[in-house]
Formats: sequence, structure tokens, C-alpha cells
Amino acid sequence: MNPVFVIAGYVLREAASRKFILAFMVGLTLVLATVALSLKLEVVDGALAATRLFGEVVRANIVSVDVALRPIFRAAAYLVFYGGILFGIVACSDFAPGLLSPGRIEHLLALPLQRWHLLAGTFLGVMTLAVGGTVYAAGGLTVIFGVKTGYWTVGPLVAGGMACVGFAAVYAVMLTTATVVRSAALCSAAGFVLLVGGILAGFRADVSRYLEAGFGRTSFDAVTMVLPRLSALAVGAADLASDTPLLPGSLGMLLGGVLVFGLGALAVGFWHFEGKDC
Amino acid sequence: MQGLRKTYHRAFGRGGHEALRGMDLVVPSGSAFGLIGPNGAGKTTFIKSVLGIVRPTAGTVRVLGGSPEDPAIRARIGYLPERLHLPGTWKSPAFLATVARLKGLKPDAPALLRLLERVGLSDAVDRRIGGYSKGMRQRLGLAAALLGEPALLVLDEPTDGIDPMGRLEVRRILQEEVRRGVTLFLNSHLLAETERVCDRVAILADGRVLREGRLEDLGRGGARWRVRFAPGAQASALVAAGFVPVGGAGSDATAATNVQAEGARDEGVYVVDAADVTVLNAALDRARASGALLVELRREGADLEAVLLGAVGSPGVAA
Repeated sequence: MNPVFVIAGYVLREAASRKFILAFMVGLTLVLATVALSLKLEVVDGALAATRLFGEVVRANIVSVDVALRPIFRAAAYLVFYGGILFGIVACSDFAPGLLSPGRIEHLLALPLQRWHLLAGTFLGVMTLAVGGTVYAAGGLTVIFGVKTGYWTVGPLVAGGMACVGFAAVYAVMLTTATVVRSAALCSAAGFVLLVGGILAGFRADVSRYLEAGFGRTSFDAVTMVLPRLSALAVGAADLASDTPLLPGSLGMLLGGVLVFGLGALAVGFWHFEGKDC
Repeated sequence: MQGLRKTYHRAFGRGGHEALRGMDLVVPSGSAFGLIGPNGAGKTTFIKSVLGIVRPTAGTVRVLGGSPEDPAIRARIGYLPERLHLPGTWKSPAFLATVARLKGLKPDAPALLRLLERVGLSDAVDRRIGGYSKGMRQRLGLAAALLGEPALLVLDEPTDGIDPMGRLEVRRILQEEVRRGVTLFLNSHLLAETERVCDRVAILADGRVLREGRLEDLGRGGARWRVRFAPGAQASALVAAGFVPVGGAGSDATAATNVQAEGARDEGVYVVDAADVTVLNAALDRARASGALLVELRREGADLEAVLLGAVGSPGVAA
């Protein structure tokens, strides 16, 4: 078996033993079950005629199902995007520092692996975890509403996939940080800083306007130019989830930019780890 | 290893620490090689260099005929680090199966169980590693090192935390491996263990190899032999034959000052300087001709602790 997959399996096995992650999955299941059991939707000829939540009638106009579900899917997309990334930053912060910790890294590096196998395997393991969690959350929501209304869309799943792309860029920075300092706290701090920076980068034109012209604004523009535009990606994910039309080419540019940033961060991490004494 | 140097540089060019200062060492294939020296001598850096975990600043390292950077070479090496960090929530068969996969082997559950039995962990296969004692973790680490029948075993403090009976078992396993033809590279602060397991030893200090060679050669006290004769031997005849009584009783003062052996009060114990076996046998023939009966003959030598102290030159050092 390819060592990258073995290391990914190693990470997933570690993840499966974390109570924090198990508790999150149980919580997610409970939320989905609560939505499935407490929400009753009456659909007549493709239109949402009545809604009951915990037995109480929710007052709303009679609209077609797809239109009625748009705000729900939009909110869910934001929740999956930001909530997922934040949870990922916290839950996955110690995988790489743990694998690179003294006593474990020597043992791993003495095995017939290439150094990049370790980082690639860790990245793959964490992304498998992220994709699995996203598919479970977004897919569960899609199935629940699909069964209840008969309206099926892949929008939430695609939005979840975009959240995974955003998290990939964030985790690439966390992994690279781990090659420099084997600290879970600093890894999560690096991920959090990138998330905040990515949110600002998505609104860089608006924020820049409020800054006084000069060094501060130039610095802000320069820094946010190289950061992945995560908030713009979140808006795009929400638009996709709610079937809102996007500007032609905008999504490709956004995804491309985030991917290039993530790959660049990973390349720096691989390069640094290759020359590092452990 | 030839001209091996390693300097750990600090960030922003703030100098560095020279851990290895030009080491030349050849470990013969199939030998049991011990590495000893005081703390900070560079032993760990040296082992990490051998395994390709640390990149030397200068010099060359060749292991099993190739570079330690080559995964095909590392596949033939079994390594037990000093402080092995094991995944606490796993069980030992799962851990060994993962290590086997990483070594490019197909995990074989019965073989893994046999290996766990060999290191004395057959009763703990259903327990999580997090609940293992330090000694049990060391045994599991040893089992991981033995996976795939490596040609070279590099063990850093393999019996650390293991009880005396367990040490005997570990020593037996290591001796079995050496008999199988494995080259053993042992770093242990237990000098008695190194002495019992290894046939060659290198003494490291301050990033250099101070002494290296066969254990009996390092401990050898020159060309001096210790001889015990049966009671009744004539001391004057033995002295005339070149034997010097231990402890000085009945000997001349010059010879007595050179005697540093233990058991000074032993009756009938003498030392004799003989450059080769011919000279030794000639002296013994002269002694027997005077009626003395030989009971015991052995080469004068120092134990490993004395050799280490002699090489490093300061008391109280730890290996």
C-alpha cells in the first residue's frame, strides 16, 4: 500500500479515537435527527403550503418549494463553511504536531518512507475527515429536505465541497506551521489568522476604502492580495446552495486562487520539512 | 561513516552547536556494536545520522552498502528510539500492522501475534497501548523494530524501564538476532548490558570517537597476565621466573608498585608480563619446573566502566 494512504489511515484512526470529534459527529447526528423529526412540510403541486416546527405552524406565504428552501440552504451553506472550518481548525490542530512529535517522528522517519509521504498522508487524512464530515452534514440536510419536499438539489453538497477547498487552504498553512513549530496551539492560531485574513481578503476592496491612504492601506492591499478570498468563496458557496446565479468565471477564479494558495503553502511546508533535522 | 560532522545551527545565524566533530567509524557486518559515552557526547545525533533522520553537515554515511536516505536501505533497518511515542488508543496488533504496512510488508496477524509473544506481550494484545507500562512500551517498540527481519537493528536504550527478568528476555532476543546474522547497534547507559551483548564498542565524547574496537581489546591491560598457583609454590622461584606476586608480599618493591589488580591479598596470585604466548609459556614452564602447579590463567583487563572512565577521563559520567 502507498505510504501516503497508510499515514492517512493512521491520522483517521487517531481521529476516530478523539472524543471531541466523536462528540461532534454525535451532535451533528442529533441536529439532523431533530430537523428530520420535528419539521413537517406540506407540499401541494410543488409549492410549500404549510410548515410545522415542533407541531407549531410557521406562518409563511405559499411559495414554490425551491424558493422556500433557498434561505435555509443559504444559511446551511454559511454554517457548513465557517462552522466547518472553525471546527476543523480546532479539531485537527494537533494531528500534524502529534505525528511530528519527538519519539514518533524519529520512528516514522527510520521507516522506508519519503519525508513528503508523512505530510501528504497527514493532509490527505485530515481532508478525508473534512470531506466525510461535510458530506454527512450537507448530504444529510439535502436528503431530509429532499424526502420531505420532493425537491432534490446538489447545491448544498457543492457548497460543502467549496467549504472543503477553503479548509484545504487553511489546513495547508497549519501543516506548514507544524513543520516549523510542533505546537497544536500555534497551528490552530495560524489557521485562525488565515481564516480572519481570508474573510478580510474577500472584502478587501470595501475594507480598503475605510483605511487612510498611505502605508497602512498599501500594506493591507498587499497582504490581502496574496491571501485566499475565503469570504468570497463562502458567498459563492451560499449562492450555489441557494441556486442564485453567479457571475460568469467568478467561481473558477476564486477556487483557482484558493487552490494555488493552498498548494503554495503546502510546497513551502514540504520544502522546509525536507531539509529539517528531526 | 567518514569525517562525519554535524552542527545544529540556530535561527538567524546566531551561531550553533557542533554535535559531531569529524567521526570515522566502521561497524563490521554481523557484529554487536555498543555505543557508550557521557551525556552530550553526540550519541543520539550519531544514531540519527546513521538513520538519515539528521542530515550531516559534512562527511559520508553508508549503511548496509547504501545511503540511509534510500527507503530500500531503511526497509532493512529496525529502529527503536529512546523515547518511543506510541498511539495510546491503539492496540498493539493494530500498531504493528501499521508499522508493517509502512515497511512495505503485508500484515500477517498470526505472525504479529507470534512477535508479540516473543517480546513478552502476548497477555496484553487486547489492551490499549495507553495502559501499558514503560517496560511494555519498550517491548512493543522492540517488536516493531524486529518486524520484517531487519539486517540492522539500531536500538536506543532498549531495556529502559524493563524489569530485571525482562532485561534477560530482551538480551536473549538480541543475542538470537545477532546469531541470525543481524548487525546490532546498541546505545545503552547500562554498561553491563553493553558488555554482555556487544562484541565491539565505541566510546564517544565531545562529538568524537575516543576509542573503538573489540571489547576484550579495549579492556586489555597490555601484555599482562594474572596467574594463580596452587598453595605450596615457592615464591622465590616464581619471582626468579618473572612472576610478580599480587599485593607485594614477598616481592621486590619495583614490581609491586606496578601491580593494580584486585584481590591483593589472594595467596598464590601472581602477574607476569609476556609480549606473546611463547614468552608466556616459557615463563610458565620455568614456574612448573620449580614445582608450582598452575590453577588459573587469565589476561589482565579492565571492565567497560573502567575503560569508559579511562577514555573520557572524569569520574561520574553517565553513558
